[in-house]
Amino acid sequence: MKRRKETYWWLSVLSIVLFVAVWWFCCDVLKLTKSSTLPGPITIAETFIKKLTSTAPDGATLPQHIFSSLKIALGGWAMGILIGTPLGIFMAWYKKVDLFVRPLFDLLRPVPGLAWIPLMIILFGIGLTPKIVTVFLSAFVPCVVNSYTGIRQTKDVHLWVGQTFGASDTQMLVHIAIPTALPLIMTGVRVALGAAWTCIVAAEMLASTMGLGYMIQQARGIYRPDIIICGMIGIGAIGAVFSGVLSLIENKIVKGVRRDG
Amino acid sequence: MVKRFHEKAGKYQKAVCAAISIFAFVCIWQMAVAFTKAGLVLAGPIETLGAFFTAILHPIGTHTIEGHILWSLGRVLIGFAFGSLAGTVLGILMGWFKPVSALLRPIFELLRPIPPIAWIPLSIVWFGLGEMSKYFLIFYSAFCAVTMNAYSGVRSVDPELMGAARMLGANNRQVFTSIVLPSCIPHIFAGLQIAVGTSWATVVAAEMVRSSEGVGWVIIKGQDSNSTVQILVGIVAIGIVGYILAVAMRAIEARLCRWSVRGK
Repeated sequence: MKRRKETYWWLSVLSIVLFVAVWWFCCDVLKLTKSSTLPGPITIAETFIKKLTSTAPDGATLPQHIFSSLKIALGGWAMGILIGTPLGIFMAWYKKVDLFVRPLFDLLRPVPGLAWIPLMIILFGIGLTPKIVTVFLSAFVPCVVNSYTGIRQTKDVHLWVGQTFGASDTQMLVHIAIPTALPLIMTGVRVALGAAWTCIVAAEMLASTMGLGYMIQQARGIYRPDIIICGMIGIGAIGAVFSGVLSLIENKIVKGVRRDG
Repeated sequence: MVKRFHEKAGKYQKAVCAAISIFAFVCIWQMAVAFTKAGLVLAGPIETLGAFFTAILHPIGTHTIEGHILWSLGRVLIGFAFGSLAGTVLGILMGWFKPVSALLRPIFELLRPIPPIAWIPLSIVWFGLGEMSKYFLIFYSAFCAVTMNAYSGVRSVDPELMGAARMLGANNRQVFTSIVLPSCIPHIFAGLQIAVGTSWATVVAAEMVRSSEGVGWVIIKGQDSNSTVQILVGIVAIGIVGYILAVAMRAIEARLCRWSVRGK
């Protein structure tokens, strides 16, 4: 099976080319779909280029929208990591923290981040704050869960070795437990970034004046699917870049771990 | 200290601590609402719980809270059933047949990074404001998670097992049905677990953007009428159902995959 691995790369290229070609053929040549339902790939490419500099019809250019979304998503994500990861570590390491904080966390956990949007809008208005808080909440949960599970995976044997050599509790946490948990902490960070990115798109669709979510929601109102698809491609591309970059960082930081799958 | 993570806190101690911390949280919330200006915008815990129980009998909008939950659950179940079925089939096909994978995986990898929520506007343009657009969104969110996991499940079958079966004279079909299928089931369940969570979040988002019933509708209408009570009632309902869905999925997995490590 392994020997034939390389044989099919041309099929992959063919498949993407075919996909775009069929799309183009159906939309631009046969005109099977109306441009108000599904525009062809050429229209979308044109819209994309135009939208890079033009502010019509929603008041901002594509880079402005992207920048606005990125600012909020990354801000809320960073807050989620800075608060969530230490909390997860403390919850797993100190029993008292676990006993008192975990019940509260378990109450919060099953509510998806975007369900908080309306409440935050009422509490904080429709500026930056409600969005950052909502993004924070949705990034916070995976960070806590993953660092908690990670610390819990520390082997007792390793801790015994630490104790034998006279390590203090803090030293064992810093030198044994946290390095053990690092791969899972990084997974949490990556999941959190995905959650933050999804959440900001939802928040912008509901109440906003700028951002990719706002752009696609406005484009729906005026039946411009070309702009919607441009926005979706932007959202997807940025999400993919995010997870690619984080995987690279993860491979650099997390050494000596054999990962399966 | 002998075994740090295995000394079990007594059940009694655990429950008492949980009760204390939740009680403290509720007290702080109630006091903040009663004695500070936060009370002008935020509803207190007693008011929220009261409203939740009232909503069981008296409708919010056109349905009671159970009615809204059932609407949302119905949408999730239909989309989820079709999405996970299609995802399982496609994932297994992609994992087992190299050409299928070469052909479909690039397209799938192009679509996968787009979160289901970003499809909301386009699905409304395509399928209108009715139920169809919601089914599509949930189908998509379940489909992506399950396909990915089924695919990696087939790819991570132990090659030694397959080799052993081949050596004992199993043909392709036998290897597939008696080794590959069983060993990718835990992976598929992991995908279903994720899919249930994302489907539930997606239905809430879709209902917030456009609907006239469902739990997402409850919270967005609460925002429109500046009623934090109604929003909190909706959030409580969303949390409870989300929790039940996750626990139910885990129970189903534990029952059906008793033999697997994950299921335990």
